[in-house]
Amino acid sequence: MSTAATAIARRPFIWPSARAIVLSIAAILFVALCVLPTLYMLGVSLAGADGGFSLDNYRHLLTDARQRDLLLSSSLLGIGTAALATIIGAPLGLLLARADLPAKRFLRLALVVPLVIPPYILGLAWIYIGGSAGLLARVYGRDLLSSWTYSLTGAVITLSLGFFPLAMLATEAAARRVSAHLEEAALLVGPPHRVLRRITLPLIAPSIAASIFIIFVLALSEFGVPGLLRVPVFTTEVFTAFAALYDFGAATALAVPLLVLALTAGIAVKLLIGERMITTGRSTHAGLPLLLGGWRALAIGAVGLVLFLSLGLPLTVLAVEVGRIERIVSAIKTSSEAIANSLLLATIGATLIIALAVLLGYGRARARTRLRGLVDLVFIVVFAVPSTVVGIGLIGLWNRPGLPGEIYKSMAIILIAYLARFVPVAALILAASARQLPVSSEEAAEVAGAGWLRSFARIVLPQLRNGLAAAWVVAFIFAFGELGATVLVSPPGESTLPVRIYTMIANTPSSEVAALALMQASIIIIPLALLGVFGRGQVDRL
Amino acid sequence: MSESFLRLIDVTKRYGERVILDSVSLEVAAGEFVALLGPSGCGKTTALRLIAGLETPDAGEVWIEDKRVATGGHNLAPPRARCIGFVFQDLALWPHLTIAGSLDFVLTCAKVPKRERAGRITEVLRLMRIERFAGSHPGQLSGGEQQRAALARALIGRPRLLLLDEPMSSLDADLKTDLLKELTGLQRSLGITALYVTHDQSEARTVAHRIISMREGRIEQAWVADETANEFVTQLEHKKTELV
Repeated sequence: MSTAATAIARRPFIWPSARAIVLSIAAILFVALCVLPTLYMLGVSLAGADGGFSLDNYRHLLTDARQRDLLLSSSLLGIGTAALATIIGAPLGLLLARADLPAKRFLRLALVVPLVIPPYILGLAWIYIGGSAGLLARVYGRDLLSSWTYSLTGAVITLSLGFFPLAMLATEAAARRVSAHLEEAALLVGPPHRVLRRITLPLIAPSIAASIFIIFVLALSEFGVPGLLRVPVFTTEVFTAFAALYDFGAATALAVPLLVLALTAGIAVKLLIGERMITTGRSTHAGLPLLLGGWRALAIGAVGLVLFLSLGLPLTVLAVEVGRIERIVSAIKTSSEAIANSLLLATIGATLIIALAVLLGYGRARARTRLRGLVDLVFIVVFAVPSTVVGIGLIGLWNRPGLPGEIYKSMAIILIAYLARFVPVAALILAASARQLPVSSEEAAEVAGAGWLRSFARIVLPQLRNGLAAAWVVAFIFAFGELGATVLVSPPGESTLPVRIYTMIANTPSSEVAALALMQASIIIIPLALLGVFGRGQVDRL
Repeated sequence: MSESFLRLIDVTKRYGERVILDSVSLEVAAGEFVALLGPSGCGKTTALRLIAGLETPDAGEVWIEDKRVATGGHNLAPPRARCIGFVFQDLALWPHLTIAGSLDFVLTCAKVPKRERAGRITEVLRLMRIERFAGSHPGQLSGGEQQRAALARALIGRPRLLLLDEPMSSLDADLKTDLLKELTGLQRSLGITALYVTHDQSEARTVAHRIISMREGRIEQAWVADETANEFVTQLEHKKTELV
């Protein structure tokens, strides 16, 4: 035996560290629960009728007239929403970052609320305003707006009023990151408007572009609003094919284009913002103030108008539709099981999401290899997969004999759907928090004799508590409002509040539906308000 | 030296209750290279920013050439109208523009005709010996190259006054020595008036004709940077050590 061979033979087996074992288990769980449904759908998309490799699905997408129409309407919904939401949100973000507005903390929190209210509740409110039997029709005695409400334009406007906070938050965060020195260096040679155009805007443009892609993906994957407003897009057709026609093959084929569009947008987001995705914080030199002068009153008016249209008006209309407080009590009684299911599942789901995401986020923040770029890409792409595609993927994976089938028939499949959809976004939030922690604090614990598990539990987690709380609230809000995947995978006879509201709309008095929608909005707004009051700084981080 | 090019008259600046500059007066002659020396927080950077018009004085006046550019509570001339070159401590190179693009931006703002710009850019890049980095972004340059790029940006507009805010603080000793020598030579050959903020006495001695020391928002001493001044600085160091 050669010397080298002997050395290899004698090398003792080294057990992997506790850190490696725990993080590997987290990675395996992530792949199994979150990535596999997407991979399954990708596999299905590349399979022909005989089960072999085929690009027929993609060819069909371009040649079939119905698919082309759906592709057009889905794309228009995504592009229109992304454009309008950015037109509303980006200037607001710049105002929040730089302008001297009154009660800025309150304004930021209030402007974030439309994002956390499920879009179908906003859609419902707009139907109660502009529908054929809506408030306006009742007041004027004739139908004024229903043809506009039930249209692609109506869906674009409704979704924009729900998603503009994403563009706002992205713009605000980016504007805060720009060092004042970069702008001051330009002010030495040029006027403020040119500095804004040539220096500030190009520096924050990648973040705005990333938010445009994120809004595009969310609008593309939105199921509730186009469903309510009768706009045929891929998501609604997937649901119809599966739930109404019981055609799993057609549903899968219809989900494929959505997946392709979402993957493309996800990759574009990663390329645009790269490492900044998990970078938080502000520049050490705060950006230059935006001096509004005589425009200040106009700016405050614009902020007020956006708040009125996106929050005040929809909630007021829902309250008017409910009419009396007893109706809320009655609605709670008749839907108590769905409400309890939703609260319980969202609480357990958010906790499970955070348990897995904190390990993934920590692992990502501490990763030193080039793989971290790939990890970010996977997080984004998985998050970008539309809810109905996740639902179909879960059905394909879990609806089979044996243990998977038993899980599929239980409420656990809803928890898996929550994990599949929301672990990536929670992991990104927690990676940003974990990155703020100095490695030296863990090294100090190691030097003091603490193993990794002890160090993680006693040193890392306590320091991450604010990030964990923020991520938990985000996960709870998302899980509590989840509709697209839940409506597909809910076991027979069981439902959550969003599924119940959605299924009640067609055949239940509007006052009862409005009462449930109002209650759901309240359940979501209360934790956010608490976060705003007690979690100073965390709202900025969201 | 010729008559005063830059004058600060009883300039005071407060941030809330804290007085950053307390009735500071100083004069810099045309073509003179003055170093503002002092520990962190003594107000030297604020003085520079007031001169540039990036801050407004609460009281006092700032004069550049024979023009009053700021008076208590008001900036009478915006930064761009003061004909100033500024090198920031963190250099503040625009990350989204190439070096040539940054220089072009400055010239565009100064309304230099397009046909002249390329020549001016080449000239200053050659002067700073970074011609080959014209198409590079700041992130692709080393620390010393970034330093040269920042100086090129400050000089391209042919300013009358060059303000430098601890620009060498992040460089290693050898590179700093080389760049300080180059900077001194450049200032002398261009005849530009310069104010250099630093907390490093050897840096101040290397570049400046005259050194002004500051402490707690006030001017403490001013002396000519020659052999006598060196002795004074040494004494000052001793005093500081005793205090510590």
